[in-house]
Amino acid sequence: MANIDLVNVEKKFGDVFAVKPLNLSIKEGEFIVFLGPSGCGKTTTLRMISGLEAVTDGNILLNQRDVTWLHPSERDIAFVFQFFALYSHMSARENIAFPLQAAQTPRDEVKQRVAQVAKMLRIDHLLERKPGALSGGDQQRIALARALVRRPAAFLMDEPLGALDAEYRESMRAEIKRLHLDIGATTVYVTHDQVEAMAMSDRIVIMSAAVVQQVGTPTEVYNNPANLFVARFIGSPGMNLLKGTYQAGAIHLPGDNRYPVSPAWQRTLDHHLPGNGAVIVGFRPEAVQLNPEGELNASVYADDLHGGYSMLHLELTKGEVIHARAGREVHMNIGAPARFEIVPERVRFFHPETELAIPLPEGSATR
Amino acid sequence: MAQARTERKLTSTTTAPRRAGGGRQLSDNRIVLLFILPTMLLLIVMNIFPLIYSLYLSFTNYSVISTDAPVWVGVENYTRILSDPDFWHNFAVTGRYTLLSVGLQTVVGFSLAMLLRTKFTGSGILTTIILIPMMLSPIVVAVFWKLIFNPSYGIFNYLIGFTNINTAPEWLGEPQLALWAIVIVDVWMWSPFVMLLCLAGLSAIPEYLYEAAAIDRASGWFQFRRITLPQVMPLLLIAILFRTIEAFKQFDLVQGLTFGGPGDVTETVSVQLYRLAFQGQFNTGESSALAYIVLVVIIAISNIFILALNRVRES
Amino acid sequence: MTAVPSNPNAVPTPGAPNVNVNFSTRVDKVSRGARWTRNVRAVIIIIIALIMLIPTVWMAMTAFKSRPDAVAVPPKVFFEPSLEGFVSLLTNRRQLTATEIAEYQARTDLAWADQIALVRGQTIIGPSDFPRQLLNSLIIAGVSTIFSVGFGVLAAYAFSRFPVPGKDDLLFFILSQRMLPPVVVTIPIFLMYRQVGLYDTHFGMILLYTAFNLSFSVWLLKGFIDEIPREYEEAAMVDGYTRLQAFRKIVLPQATTGIAATTVFTLIFSWNEYAFALMLTSDVARTAPPSIPLVLGTGGIEWAAIAAGSLAFLIPVVIVTFLLRKHLLRGVTFGAIRKG
Repeated sequence: MANIDLVNVEKKFGDVFAVKPLNLSIKEGEFIVFLGPSGCGKTTTLRMISGLEAVTDGNILLNQRDVTWLHPSERDIAFVFQFFALYSHMSARENIAFPLQAAQTPRDEVKQRVAQVAKMLRIDHLLERKPGALSGGDQQRIALARALVRRPAAFLMDEPLGALDAEYRESMRAEIKRLHLDIGATTVYVTHDQVEAMAMSDRIVIMSAAVVQQVGTPTEVYNNPANLFVARFIGSPGMNLLKGTYQAGAIHLPGDNRYPVSPAWQRTLDHHLPGNGAVIVGFRPEAVQLNPEGELNASVYADDLHGGYSMLHLELTKGEVIHARAGREVHMNIGAPARFEIVPERVRFFHPETELAIPLPEGSATR
Repeated sequence: MAQARTERKLTSTTTAPRRAGGGRQLSDNRIVLLFILPTMLLLIVMNIFPLIYSLYLSFTNYSVISTDAPVWVGVENYTRILSDPDFWHNFAVTGRYTLLSVGLQTVVGFSLAMLLRTKFTGSGILTTIILIPMMLSPIVVAVFWKLIFNPSYGIFNYLIGFTNINTAPEWLGEPQLALWAIVIVDVWMWSPFVMLLCLAGLSAIPEYLYEAAAIDRASGWFQFRRITLPQVMPLLLIAILFRTIEAFKQFDLVQGLTFGGPGDVTETVSVQLYRLAFQGQFNTGESSALAYIVLVVIIAISNIFILALNRVRES
Repeated sequence: MTAVPSNPNAVPTPGAPNVNVNFSTRVDKVSRGARWTRNVRAVIIIIIALIMLIPTVWMAMTAFKSRPDAVAVPPKVFFEPSLEGFVSLLTNRRQLTATEIAEYQARTDLAWADQIALVRGQTIIGPSDFPRQLLNSLIIAGVSTIFSVGFGVLAAYAFSRFPVPGKDDLLFFILSQRMLPPVVVTIPIFLMYRQVGLYDTHFGMILLYTAFNLSFSVWLLKGFIDEIPREYEEAAMVDGYTRLQAFRKIVLPQATTGIAATTVFTLIFSWNEYAFALMLTSDVARTAPPSIPLVLGTGGIEWAAIAAGSLAFLIPVVIVTFLLRKHLLRGVTFGAIRKG
């Protein structure tokens, strides 16, 4: 078990930043996920932690020990690759035994540890097969077993579920999380799938364009996104974001809508917004409540039945569509008018130029 | 994909909604026949038929320069050849040459591939330069290596340090060295071939396999033995197979460099065949028998190799 | 869960912290040691490339040496270039008597080739056999290539798209033709040709080369055609084209690179061919390879001339190797291996 500290870690290629100076403290036993779109720097960061990529500046500490320039094998970490990295000419058993053999572990111990790990991952019946003959899910389990058998201080995983079919992805997700709970090892996990990140992590590090956008628990980043990027990226669909004009205690929204702002928020908005009154309003689809007497109005643009619930697309004015989550019994005709309200505690505001979230007024409950 | 192909039925083009061209259409069956016929015909006439004719001749005592018709002699030619010490000597020479040549090529070629495996500026051009010898005409290569090996004015001795022409080795003249000279030229020409195949195999190994091994503290030698070598083995075997067959039937190089000399030190079976059939007594019958013996050996060698290849592929 | 004890005495990669690592690389590949190995490797590669080049370059140089220079002891690296070799190769000359030499030396209207011949006391009386033999090489290689690629692409298409009965056996049979020592096939063909009057004829050689190269071209082309999705032709046939039209309009254009590569490889093989040419031609249809080793002058082996002939013979091949470098692997393994 280990804590990992990243101090001003950066990666440059020539003059271009792949990862801008990053500071992060990962606690012992934490499951932390690096989340972001392709090319944001999350994989590079992971590889720097492992030593597969050299830093251009900064330090990496493992249990307060500076490992920045240590060989990957000296860092006491295990790495799980997206494409499994299994040796096709060796059986599953030999693959799992590989790291122990490389460290010249006595043969009896190798046998015992391989059996133990195989049992944990329920692949003991597959040990004699070659990876090529197994499904993607099983192959990934073997890769996980190979990482586990080493009993490292930390696990690093690079989009391990990326190469799997959808059906395997869900079950493997649960298995990995379960393993983490059983073993309690520090795990650093990289993915571009926000559903995965939200489901598995203790904390999420959201990155975009080489910069960390926000670090927080799934609840935090969902309810209080730090900026527009996080607001859009997290949640499916992302947060509804509308441009409005703030004037005299109310915001004028598209579609001839007027949204009155609570006094607590008014003070904060007056303080943070630029003088011209531009503001961006954000709220999640489940924060929308259809109400025939609601103050805001729109017309129904589309109605997606998702089985357990409906996702309505409401058009406030041409080109401005928001998502609203409704019970499955709700059926609306296309083009019908819809009046709604926004749950006050779920509303968020963003600065139109910096794109940062306006801080919540003191004392407000965050749900 | 092969599966899909065999399941497909031959469809008649009358399923097309309308004809884009005028005139009579050929059914698919006819097209297959038409397309394959010229090739098969040529091969039968120029390869099969001669082989059969040759087989017949091997049982006769025919000679092209005589006016007599061929006379059947049964297996006399075969027994004569197989009991001839010269034949076994030549066979041994051919075998030695093949072993030395293919062995060295494999080592040199593989090492070259390991060196060139990481891309760097100019690696493309360097690779192409290294590949040129392989594309040249073997007889032309033999001719200019003859110049290079010359004991007085050839540069080979000079380049390896023998500047006194009185003590310098006479590569093509000395019985001990002549075969080595031919081997050197063959290795020069064909190591790039082995290199090319090994490069293909090496570049197919994904980098993350090595990264995983690095994380697992596998030493360089360990990685080579357990990752690199097994992945490259099938292609390496293919290279060795090709080169062994080619070395066994090598004619141009030997003929050009030494004509089988000095004496018969470098007389390979191919050279003996040529002499027997096209020089001296023009002994067609006997040379046909010899040709067939060579054929059988080559088929045996390739079968062994293909078996080994399949074994490696399965593992 | 007990952790594997990390090595507390682990030493950081030497030299690393002072290095600005602005490219993608593993930590341990940044050390001074790793850089050193990389440099050594580069040096070795350059040495090997030189070794590969030297013989060919030496021969090219010899082609431009004067006769005495070519056989100088010790071998000359720096010399005054001369075209003696080429003149020797391409022309027939006769010795001049002493009086003729004096007379010729006084003249000022000699062609440059004659001037060179005069250096050795000779005058040109006509072209040698070599230009004609080069031409034969060109014709025979060219025409046989056209046919073997032409027939080959048809057969390759048929094998690629249709379940021909006994396909694998037929294909293997075709491939095995290449494994025969040429001498095995030449003996009976020699007899056949003599009977039919095809010995030492262009047609006979073209026929033979076509047949022998078919195995190669069918295999190589099949590999290329296999890579063209069948859906292209099927779409065309649904649109109303016949299979032949689909073949002509769709498959052939798509296979152009493959056909080009095969054509060039076949050309090179035919161009370089020695054994058949040696045994089945003598005069009329003789190609260049059998005659290059035999260029004899008045004083024995004319190295400059031989070198000139060799050079002329291999320049086209070198150029073409350069052009084909992306397909070389595929070509020399009969399409069995496709890199990348």
